[in-house]
Amino acid sequence: MSAPLPLARLEARVSAAKAEVEARGETFYPGASRVHLAAYPPKERWSDWVELDSKAWPDRVERRFMLVPTTCFNCESACGLLAYVDRDTLEVRKFEGNPEHPGSRGRNCAKGPATVTQLADPDRILHPLKRVGARGEGKWERTTWDEALDDIAARIRKAMDEGRRRQVMYHVGRPGEDGFTERMLAAWGVDGHNSHTNICSSGARAGYHYWMGMDRPSPDHANARVILLVSSHLEAGHYFNPHAQRVMEGKRNGAKLVVFDTRLSNTATHADHWLSTYPGSEAAVLLAVAAHLIRRKRYDAAFVERWWNWREYMEENHPDQPATFKAFQGVLHGLYEEYTFDFAAAESGVPASTIQAVAELVAEAGARLSTHNWRSAAAGNLGGWQVARCLFLLNALTGAVAVPGGTYPNAWNKYVPRPIRMPARHPDEWNDLTWPGDYPLSLMEMSFLLPHLTAERDGRLDVYFTRVYNPVWTNPDGFSWIEMLADPERIGLHVALTPTWNETAYFADYVLPMGHSAERHDLTSYEQYDGRWIGFRQPVLRTARERLGEDLPATLDANPGEVWEENEFWIELTWRIDPDGARGIRGFFESRKRPGRKLTVDEYYGWMFEHSVPGLPERAAREGLSPLEYMRRYGAFEIDRKVGPLHEAVVPEEELDDVRVDAAGRVFTRAPAAPSSNVVPMPPMDGDGEGRRRAGVEVDGAVLRGFPTPSGRLEFWSRTLADWGWPEMALPAYARSHVHRQNMDRDQMCLISTFRLPVQIHTRSANAKWLNEIAHTNPVWLHPRDAARIGVETGDLVRVETRIGHFVAKAWVTEGIHPGVAACSHHMGRWRLDEPAPVASGGSENEGSKASEGTESGAARQSMATVSMDRDGQRWKMGRKAAGGPFQSSDADTSRIWWTDVGVHQNMTFPVQPDPVSGAHCWHQAVRVVRALPGDRYGDVSADTAKARREFRQWLELARAARDHSPNGDRRPHWLLRPVRPERKAFRLPENGGRGDTT
Amino acid sequence: MELLRALGSLIETPSEEHGAVARALGLPRVPTPAVHGRIVAFQRRPCASIYLGADGMMGGDVRDRAAGFRRALKLEACSEPDHLASLLTLAAGLGEWRGDQAAAGDDSRAGGAGTGAAGARAGALLLAQARATLAWEHLSPWIRPYLASFERCGSPFYEAWAELLERAMDALEDDLGLPDYLPVSLRDAPELPDPRADGGEAFVRGLLAPARAGIVVTRDDLNRLAGDLGLACRAGERRYALVGFLSQDAAGTLAWLSDHAERWASRMTGRGPRPIAAWWTARAAGAAGLLARLAEEARSAAAAVP
Repeated sequence: MSAPLPLARLEARVSAAKAEVEARGETFYPGASRVHLAAYPPKERWSDWVELDSKAWPDRVERRFMLVPTTCFNCESACGLLAYVDRDTLEVRKFEGNPEHPGSRGRNCAKGPATVTQLADPDRILHPLKRVGARGEGKWERTTWDEALDDIAARIRKAMDEGRRRQVMYHVGRPGEDGFTERMLAAWGVDGHNSHTNICSSGARAGYHYWMGMDRPSPDHANARVILLVSSHLEAGHYFNPHAQRVMEGKRNGAKLVVFDTRLSNTATHADHWLSTYPGSEAAVLLAVAAHLIRRKRYDAAFVERWWNWREYMEENHPDQPATFKAFQGVLHGLYEEYTFDFAAAESGVPASTIQAVAELVAEAGARLSTHNWRSAAAGNLGGWQVARCLFLLNALTGAVAVPGGTYPNAWNKYVPRPIRMPARHPDEWNDLTWPGDYPLSLMEMSFLLPHLTAERDGRLDVYFTRVYNPVWTNPDGFSWIEMLADPERIGLHVALTPTWNETAYFADYVLPMGHSAERHDLTSYEQYDGRWIGFRQPVLRTARERLGEDLPATLDANPGEVWEENEFWIELTWRIDPDGARGIRGFFESRKRPGRKLTVDEYYGWMFEHSVPGLPERAAREGLSPLEYMRRYGAFEIDRKVGPLHEAVVPEEELDDVRVDAAGRVFTRAPAAPSSNVVPMPPMDGDGEGRRRAGVEVDGAVLRGFPTPSGRLEFWSRTLADWGWPEMALPAYARSHVHRQNMDRDQMCLISTFRLPVQIHTRSANAKWLNEIAHTNPVWLHPRDAARIGVETGDLVRVETRIGHFVAKAWVTEGIHPGVAACSHHMGRWRLDEPAPVASGGSENEGSKASEGTESGAARQSMATVSMDRDGQRWKMGRKAAGGPFQSSDADTSRIWWTDVGVHQNMTFPVQPDPVSGAHCWHQAVRVVRALPGDRYGDVSADTAKARREFRQWLELARAARDHSPNGDRRPHWLLRPVRPERKAFRLPENGGRGDTT
Repeated sequence: MELLRALGSLIETPSEEHGAVARALGLPRVPTPAVHGRIVAFQRRPCASIYLGADGMMGGDVRDRAAGFRRALKLEACSEPDHLASLLTLAAGLGEWRGDQAAAGDDSRAGGAGTGAAGARAGALLLAQARATLAWEHLSPWIRPYLASFERCGSPFYEAWAELLERAMDALEDDLGLPDYLPVSLRDAPELPDPRADGGEAFVRGLLAPARAGIVVTRDDLNRLAGDLGLACRAGERRYALVGFLSQDAAGTLAWLSDHAERWASRMTGRGPRPIAAWWTARAAGAAGLLARLAEEARSAAAAVP
């Protein structure tokens, strides 16, 4: 036996072997890093990875895969996925996490791997469909892409040529991409972008925006000492994976987790302190914590003095006092004196001792306080946007802003590469249907008011795209949506771009099948830690086949059936709108490499990766790849990390020319801004009126970048709010919600619907069988005390009466909900019609496929109940004709569906409740919950759209319109963020003050 | 230091890439994942908490201490901080930082010792302390009995791997100059319960907790026991099987385990740092003595039955 080698020699040998392998760009140490997840196929073997076929067990049958990265499209967080493409059959066999993705780091929630079930859904739409009956009649015929494109393009072209650009609207649910569509609409010169955001996150985002100019928080949970989440919604349902893993990382590092949530959510179960706040009281609790910090002088006075706009506040609001920081501290002390722990306890129902304990934790955390609010309280309440403002007050007090363990502004942790042929122009007109003058401060489009605005203000849309969006089901007041969609006077042509059947598509003229996450191109970047990355979504079968040597001119050629991707669709449509380029639109979609030819997605992204992503070309070159090849191979690229506090960045000397510093310390310069390849949306800052642009703000003698707010600082006091009619809301404040007990009758309860179980995602997961098996119903949560009062037990039927109707659902009695509050998840209650909807417009004599027949059935049968729909004037009723259950299809699993209860659609019974400041829909409902009445059946839904209109008008009365409050004759503060920002002149209020200016 | 990292990686589930690592170290052919499953994952999961914890299970104080050690070094949190691969990777990293950081004057891994030359010296000192603490408190207390459990395990690869890792640990400990007091986990380890005072269940649990009994009892050991004594080995967890043996032949089982503990006592003698080796030797010898007495009592009791 030979003598063992000396250790030093072994050390040298293994070091050399490692260096040699890694020099080839390959993996020396595979498998578990013991820091992240257990094991991944080494990236150098992604082209040919062998696994045993689990279905062949006990035989050892090897299958060869090509692993192609893409990005999940189910929620917003854009986690990385690896598609396992079978090299023999060219089918996607499964999805796992992409370890090369910096945000998700190889991890996924249930929704990521479930993508494979969405691809294989037997009910998915595989071909373009055209309506042949009346809208809502459910009759379709297969059409061609060419016919659909020509028809749609002709209508848009005509609208443009006749000066009716405002009648073209693109209404998006899940964007899932950064910049492509806004670029397209800018190129078209159409102010027609409409998002779902005002039924989603815009309340919280408004609160952040008024503080720091950027509208989303980027919490550094992993390095925090205290993680404070107002609601778990984001962590448990939306940004679930990237944030949840960092929350757990923070906890492992000793962080304390505090969760404000009326109900016991998944995240709340992990909390050190779960505060089951009464809905709408969250701001009161947060202000009590803030008052504690102020009272005990436990805040970072140096940070406050340096970065708050306290001087502006003092000068404007306390002119009788010196504008000194000391005087401000005195005022600050008095401002929140009334927010005692006892007051907060009385408002919230949380014991004062618990609130005090949380206040102490926050005080101890110092600048390592990560906080987050997304929907929940901000989306539920009148004045909900103040919840985010009060939450961020804690960060602003403790200096936990853009520091490790604190909360960063999202725009500093996000990267949107400048695209090829970026239009310099903007729409020259203003769309009053999306941006009505009644809501000048709304952060996003007033999308959920569309049925009312089109009806009351003679609004008409000639071409209306719903894109991965289902407003009939997702929005409040769905019957008003049906009335609008069925009315050809209001909607000329409705085009539904969707990967999955949905309730809105049922009322479309064209249903055009778009790809799921593995069937489309998109670029994404989201704030998930202090760093910036881009993630590339790609059609994996196209990429796989191209790697095998095929030349596929379009994604359409690789996707199942005639499923397309949107980028190529929009390019094609644009060319048909402007076939000869005479309208100046087509040029934005022309190739640079091949003038006169269409821009391809390869060129679009290839150019962007080559020219607008710092470090990517170099990184790719190290592996002998082009930047596009690199992104196709790895799916993501981290541009940088530890971006840090950009507000403290010194403005370089070369950017300072003929500088003027105004009395507020804002610095203006004639030097042009340094060119940036990052076009992440940022508020535009007006210049000084003499030709200088804003460069920064003077702080302690230095010119720093500051914040993109009017003052350049964190705006504790918002001049914007004060000047535009809301002086009483200009500071972080607590205003009692519409569901405060004093605003409800004694027999009413608050219903919260702003949550869902984390495995489901609105309408897109309707055809994901794995997810449906996990979560398929939505009972009404009731506290045992309330259940006893009402006289129901778990499983009994309850009738929930709103201001415009009612729904009948099952009770679930649980202590996991605040007494006096009911809760019903919004993730279920899908439905389909098997007969024509009772809409006003006439029928058709054409014969087409009925909705329930054939493979393209107008339904996602796994999750939809079959309902009847009846109408008496404006009183609508929906009743359940058949529950869910097994059915025969090409997927044998559908015959094994064991559940029948697919939940109840509650949103149709909710009136619109627009917050007069943020414009966000206030989801919480004042309801009466009673035992089901005789004749009530599970799944009954009824609503009166006349009452809905009255509710709309009542809420409209709360608004303070630009025509009455604009301080400068603008429709809206110019600095506020806005998608597809029109020309400056379009911001001016029209002569008539903006009344009825919709067509 | 690469040697430690490489040896750590080889206790993970084998894959094709491990072949290159093993070849560089002159180790036999890497086994299949199935062999790894049988020998390592199922019988010798490489977590310090199993070998040092009072219950012989993953988690608890031992893992918390390993996590706390990482926190003190401001390292990223780790899901299994007491896993052998984690600990060896960290040991390798600290060894490399010792060289790199001292040269650069960067003390960030050493808790912020300051800047400049004095700071660099202080940083180097703290790093040296960190290396010694990692070895003394988190690796050395359990690595010898763990590696000893691979002797004659039936896999030439793992037998050779264990031998090489033990040599590497010897070298590391020599390099660090370790203290002569006991690591905290061994100081705190409760003794093997006496069934006459603490009950049979606690005793059986204790036998399967290496830090209490001073021995490692694998499923293969139990199979050997069954074969030697002609007993039926029940399917189920080790505790269940052991209870089955005791009910079939208490005296024989206890005597077999006493012999097993004696063998462990001699195996541990002089192996690794002196205080640690002495502790494991004494604990195994103590268990052997108790088991022998219990076996004798069981024999007597059986003989007394008419």
